[in-house]
Amino acid sequence: MMSIRNLHARVDDKPILKGINLEISAGEIHAIMGPNGSGKSTLSSVLAGRDEYEVTNGEVIYQDQNLLELEPEERAWAGLFLSFQYPVEIPGVKNVYLLKAAVNAVREHRGLPELKAADFLKLVREKLKIMQMSESFLHRNVNEGFSGGEKKRNEILQMQLLEPKLALLDETDSGLDVDALRIVGEGINLMRTPDRSVLLVTHYQRLLDIVKPDFVHVLIDGQIKLSGDFSLAQRLEKEGYEGIELA
Amino acid sequence: MNGLHTLLTKSERYSAKDALQKGLPSKQVESWKYLPSRTLNKTKWVSASHRESAGFVLHGGRFANLPLCDGVNTSTNSSLNSAEIARLANLASAHGFSSAQDALNTDCLLLEVIKLAEVRIDLCRLANDAKEAGFATVVIRVGEGAKLLLIEQFEDAPRSQPNLDSLRILVDVSRNGEMKHLRFQTANDHAQVFTEIDVDISENGHYNLHTIDFGAKLSRTNIEIKLSAEQASTKINGLAVTNGSQYHDTHLAVEHRIGDTQSAMTFRNMVDGKGEATFNGRVLIEKEAQRSATKQSVGNLLLSKTARVNPKPELEIYADDVTASHGCTVGSLNRNELFYLKSRGINETDARAFLQYAFAAKLVELIEDADIRELVESRLLGELKHGELISELKESVNV
Repeated sequence: MMSIRNLHARVDDKPILKGINLEISAGEIHAIMGPNGSGKSTLSSVLAGRDEYEVTNGEVIYQDQNLLELEPEERAWAGLFLSFQYPVEIPGVKNVYLLKAAVNAVREHRGLPELKAADFLKLVREKLKIMQMSESFLHRNVNEGFSGGEKKRNEILQMQLLEPKLALLDETDSGLDVDALRIVGEGINLMRTPDRSVLLVTHYQRLLDIVKPDFVHVLIDGQIKLSGDFSLAQRLEKEGYEGIELA
Repeated sequence: MNGLHTLLTKSERYSAKDALQKGLPSKQVESWKYLPSRTLNKTKWVSASHRESAGFVLHGGRFANLPLCDGVNTSTNSSLNSAEIARLANLASAHGFSSAQDALNTDCLLLEVIKLAEVRIDLCRLANDAKEAGFATVVIRVGEGAKLLLIEQFEDAPRSQPNLDSLRILVDVSRNGEMKHLRFQTANDHAQVFTEIDVDISENGHYNLHTIDFGAKLSRTNIEIKLSAEQASTKINGLAVTNGSQYHDTHLAVEHRIGDTQSAMTFRNMVDGKGEATFNGRVLIEKEAQRSATKQSVGNLLLSKTARVNPKPELEIYADDVTASHGCTVGSLNRNELFYLKSRGINETDARAFLQYAFAAKLVELIEDADIRELVESRLLGELKHGELISELKESVNV
């Protein structure tokens, strides 16, 4: 699905990613853990195409394409989805406009017919139910005045509508209470299929208890220092990152 | 001889001599320094002619088909009271252009909304012909406890040469009275539109203005509001969408003369092409105006490298117990917001249109009259490059 090779990136001349290597195959869930400032969010931003990061070395091959050459919207058309750590508020644009425009833009580039209003609304209502969101969210402005938990649920709602092939979830668990964490976690689990992969960035094990990863990687100072299975996340929860750095 | 001088007779020129010597709008006068006055000062203006039309209109400096509704009395300037005459004289003395407006005024209408009446008046400002200039004044009395909704619209008939339309609106809101004033300026591409709004508000009176500028080559709106008694309040919302080589200018001055008065102002300027927009918002809180509250928010969105805005919020406070806030931003489209939309598969062009729409939409949503709100919205979508996606979305999913 995606192959990250020796990826280096910097922001304002400050190197952040210093040689990331990672292989993600179809159907796999990978978790990236690591201390603050290790480059976790930078990795997902670079993969989604945020332009304030400069890639200085390395490559990312996504489904036989050079991912780094694509515009952010082209990445979305190709099946990449980023759930933002801090979802952006857009006062003046109703959520439902964004959702419908996004769904049909992605469908168009996948060779699918445009969803008509009635079909779209039927679909979006189904997904709202899964995310336990009321219909009023459709008519509120994008993320404006949403609580932290509502914003994250809105991100997963978008993911469900856009049906990506590879989802990058950047600290989707941060700022969630126990109930919201369960709803978001189960929302992600519903998306698990043999041909869909997830790269999940998190600080804590608690989301991983719901969304069981196949692989766990520890990112420290811009490099993956250690990889393992779910037991690595459990070890980190007990020992912290310091033990890893010493190892 | 060019400019407004051409319109004055010899004796008028003599009486307006001071004004003309002060000069018509020029870069030397602070409040006019950004206004491109070349067309105004170089055109050989002629007095405007008047044509027959339906509805309450202003054309060629004359009002026609005066509103005949219950609760409204109309008469001519002979019925003005001494306070109104003094206020008009005061307006005329402000600067060269206002003196010319006074000297060239051809029609003065008095509209009186009687005590406790509730009325709506629709005024259409018709386009003057090529090189024609029209000057008129309307004096509005909103009686005690009366409610007036004034909707001011413009005919946007195409013109190939400059035309000038000037209107002074003098308003007196009595105790417990309320005036809502909605301006939707869509004048033709060559129009020079001048509007002078002077409002005095009494105890527990309210004046709400919603002013929307899309049209005209040049539009200048001067708004002066005096909160003269306790619990008088005003709310002013403005949106100017400036494109091509248009110039939109709003000068606003709110005076809190007495305690327990409130004002709130929200303005948005969206400027593209070689357009230029000026916003000057001055709030004065006098020493006696304790416990007054004012807030001002001005947003400016620049969409091209050649677009220009001149925002100037001013707050002058002499009282020590007031609540005052003001904020002013100037910027281009937010990169973070653009990235968010693009990461959802929305292309750059549509994403930009979305954000431009969003910037202006807040001011459109606040328009209470549903029909006018629809008109403004469709004009806004038409002005946006690639607003089709939003139009389509609005039609399809507004359930």
